[in-house]
Amino acid sequence: MSTPAPAVPAPGTDTEGVQAAATAVARTTRLPGWFVILWRNRKCRIGLLMLAAFVLLAVFAPLLAPYDPHEDAFPTSLGPTGSHWLGTTAQGEDVLSQLVVGARTSMLVGLAAGVLSTLIGLVIGLTAGFVGGWVDEVLSFLINLGLVVPALPLMVTLAAYAPVRGIWLIIVVISVTGWAYGARIKRSQVITLRTRDYVTAARFAGDGTARIIAREIVPNMTSLIVLGFMGAALAAIGGEAGLAFLGLGDPLTVSWGAMLNQASLGGAMLTGQWAWLIAPGLALSLLITSFTLINFGIDALSNPHLRED
Amino acid sequence: MALLEVDHLSVTYTPRDQPANRAVHDVSFRIADGEFVGLLGESGCGKSTLGNAVLRLLSPPAHITGGRVSFDGVDLTEADEERLRELRWVDLSTVFQSSMNSLNPVIRVEAQFADTFAAHKVPGDVTARATELLELVALDRRVLRAYPHELSGGMKQRVALALALALRPKLVLLDEPTTGLDVVVQRSILTRLAELRRELGFAVLFVSHDLGTVLEMADRVMVMYGGEIVEDRPAGEVLREPRHPYTRGLLGSYADPRLPEVRVSYIPGRPPDLSRTHTGCLFTARCPHAEDACRTTHPDLLPDRGGLVRCLVAQEDRLPVVTLGTAEAHTALGSHFPATAGLDRPADPADAAPVLTVERVTKRYTSRRGLRTSSVEAVRDASFTLRRGTVTALVGQSGSGKSTLARLITGVERPSTGEVRFTGGDGPDLRVDRLRGRALRDYRRHVQMIFQDPFSALNPTRTIAYALSRPLANFAGLGGAAARERAAQLLESVGLAPAGQFLDKLPHQLSGGQRQRVVTARALAPEPRVLIADEPISMLDVSIRAEILELLGDLVREHRLAMLYITHDLLSARLLADEVLVLNQGTVVESGPTREVIGAARDDYTRLLLDSIPNPFAKATGRAASPSA
Ligand SMILES: Nc1ncnc2c1ncn2[C@@H]1O[C@H](COP(=O)(O)OP(=O)(O)O)[C@@H](O)[C@H]1O
Ligand code: SF4
Ligand SMILES: [Mg+2]
Repeated sequence: MSTPAPAVPAPGTDTEGVQAAATAVARTTRLPGWFVILWRNRKCRIGLLMLAAFVLLAVFAPLLAPYDPHEDAFPTSLGPTGSHWLGTTAQGEDVLSQLVVGARTSMLVGLAAGVLSTLIGLVIGLTAGFVGGWVDEVLSFLINLGLVVPALPLMVTLAAYAPVRGIWLIIVVISVTGWAYGARIKRSQVITLRTRDYVTAARFAGDGTARIIAREIVPNMTSLIVLGFMGAALAAIGGEAGLAFLGLGDPLTVSWGAMLNQASLGGAMLTGQWAWLIAPGLALSLLITSFTLINFGIDALSNPHLRED
Repeated sequence: MALLEVDHLSVTYTPRDQPANRAVHDVSFRIADGEFVGLLGESGCGKSTLGNAVLRLLSPPAHITGGRVSFDGVDLTEADEERLRELRWVDLSTVFQSSMNSLNPVIRVEAQFADTFAAHKVPGDVTARATELLELVALDRRVLRAYPHELSGGMKQRVALALALALRPKLVLLDEPTTGLDVVVQRSILTRLAELRRELGFAVLFVSHDLGTVLEMADRVMVMYGGEIVEDRPAGEVLREPRHPYTRGLLGSYADPRLPEVRVSYIPGRPPDLSRTHTGCLFTARCPHAEDACRTTHPDLLPDRGGLVRCLVAQEDRLPVVTLGTAEAHTALGSHFPATAGLDRPADPADAAPVLTVERVTKRYTSRRGLRTSSVEAVRDASFTLRRGTVTALVGQSGSGKSTLARLITGVERPSTGEVRFTGGDGPDLRVDRLRGRALRDYRRHVQMIFQDPFSALNPTRTIAYALSRPLANFAGLGGAAARERAAQLLESVGLAPAGQFLDKLPHQLSGGQRQRVVTARALAPEPRVLIADEPISMLDVSIRAEILELLGDLVREHRLAMLYITHDLLSARLLADEVLVLNQGTVVESGPTREVIGAARDDYTRLLLDSIPNPFAKATGRAASPSA
């Protein structure tokens, strides 16, 4: 409905209000305020619990996996059995072990690429927004370039032609192609925040630019940064799976994408090994679901009207 | 049956991290067809909560905990969302203080009208109808082609009003629709609103903290305190004789600045904390007439002098009689309250040593659009001096160049021609218009700012102690415990005592007035010579403005500061300033000692500013308050 309605802030606009609420909550609990607000949202709580389960799986993968995922001495192309719950691959590796260890890869890629692209986006967005002038023009051009360049083809090209193969290459490729969106949002947020009277007041109190950015501006953007990180991590997990599925991943790393790739190459469909085919896809979609659920809570964080107080 | 009937309505906020807050308690009233009703009280008294509850616009954590609202025969408390949607905007519309900011920024004004008509299936030619509506609110049809950001605040608020009237509603809720706008703009919007109501005959519920404005416009006023209605009487009767001590206190904030002696008064203290239970009258702590019975007996809202009043003493007819209606009598009323902001002035401001001199300063802004350059002179050939222990008021409408002058004085910008000289330091005189880098940063310790909006002047994520520690660290080299101790002293010097209670609070835990005090304390921390206060009270409640003015006046005299007080409000200028400069479109049109300039304004523009001040007493006497030179 487009009838003028009473002012309800669009999601993500009132980051200071969010921050004030979060800071206030944090003082009563010792946990970060944004976390407490997220936890209170039911959908988000389920998402956080699911994600926590994946993180635990990844951390303790070597203990939980029944076999070494590269061990290929088992009978090939088994269906689910008592000693191989999800069967074995065409090379004779244990599918369950690969699934468990594959969680590590996804988590590592999500975490590392999420952190990396958030950092790049933060530095570029903050500098462009706060410094302004020609610096902003140059950086904005870069950001726009990053936005229009189609990420997937670029990822595929970079991954295909890179002289080395490895999980870190994938992480770097994903970060380099995925920072621009976050940078743009952060830049526009900084532009609103830097005109606040408290920023002028900090100038009058004698504070320098670096301190003003670190102490006055960034704390008012934490929810945006968390949001950006989640988005980037999710994109990275998807990106890695996609590359690996296309056979562009690191052949030595066990990952869900690579499992899907091998399952289709190894003729899982023909041999009727449904578990081998479905398990990695299902794991991937559960992980994506957990992120989506957490995002519901982040919307609530940015929009007080959705908060379940 | 009245148009709007509210019976025993109660609203409670049940936020998760704070105790429940009984914001509206057992409120009943009626609004008849075409009636203009004012709802008054300080912020936090529950006015907006009541207004939103009536329209069923409350969102969690607010809940209606009892009572009934019926509009035009429909029970709104029971109605489903579908029914409410039909009623809202068509029969019941609203304009909020923030409405001007909620216009869709990416579509033109005309499209916003088109959307409204389409959403409610109004047939006919959009442009013709929209033009007609804009004419209603005295806007040119060219506004139709504009985007919201191309319009001023006042124009946007008029568009919001035109949209609210688009479907000819029967009742319009106006929640502080002109708060924060310039006095002249405010005046013209309100005048237009009064005319429209007469032409179109809609009823109005007008929510405001500004009793002066409401009394001028309303048929009837309801005064709210601590979530309850304490007085509900015809506006004329209230003016003749306000019955509740709280109403009397609110009226103390108004005076005619042209009178030879001007006094305003304020009610010390803040409204009660509604998360606690109170016995007796909620106003007891602040009431000058409180008796023992008031502490134990909660007064009922009973008939009194043509309306309803909730006060034990008034109901027994033992309040001192005050007949308002003449500005002279009001002076007597102010004295009912112990704290009166009356300021002593030095005999002759010329004695005071000059601290900062602005000499023949012009500031030109050139903007380039494509190949054409256009230039505006924001300030034209301005000269004046700020002196030690003296307040100089810089008065003018928004856009007249006041803030530009402040930026020139603080060195944020440089004049196109002319000089700004600082002569108040211990070292040699400084040419402010030539400072840069380190020198500019050092100069700033001498020139500090108090901002207009206390809600944006403090970082929401930083404690009060942090805000105060920065200037202390940068300019006085204080850290740790020493800084904390000094911060506490500063807080006490601005009336926030005991300071320990405030140091570790976050800004949102303080009221507007308290925040403005913190902002003032921060400005005092580097021990400046010049204090620039840019409309420091315009965002505050009328009832606490006098309090902040008194604080600023005291500080100026105590610390021998030179203050530039920027305002569009001549009453506050009259109360605080020794000298006045009136700025119109960048040019100083009038200047001199405050009493002379305001008492006998020669410039047309100064007179317009004077006539725009809300003056409830003008209506009672049937004339504009007479200038007395
Ligand atoms: N979202 C909220 N959560 C908790 N308390 C609130 C909230 N909004 C308002 N209140 C409380 O309700 C009371 C009335 O507020 P409000 O209706 O905004 O008053 P007014 O419009 O008169 O300024 C105040 O005590 C205020 O602190
Ligand atoms: S009841 Fe008593 S305390 Fe309350 S307003 Fe009347 S006189 Fe004052
Ligand atoms: Mg309000």
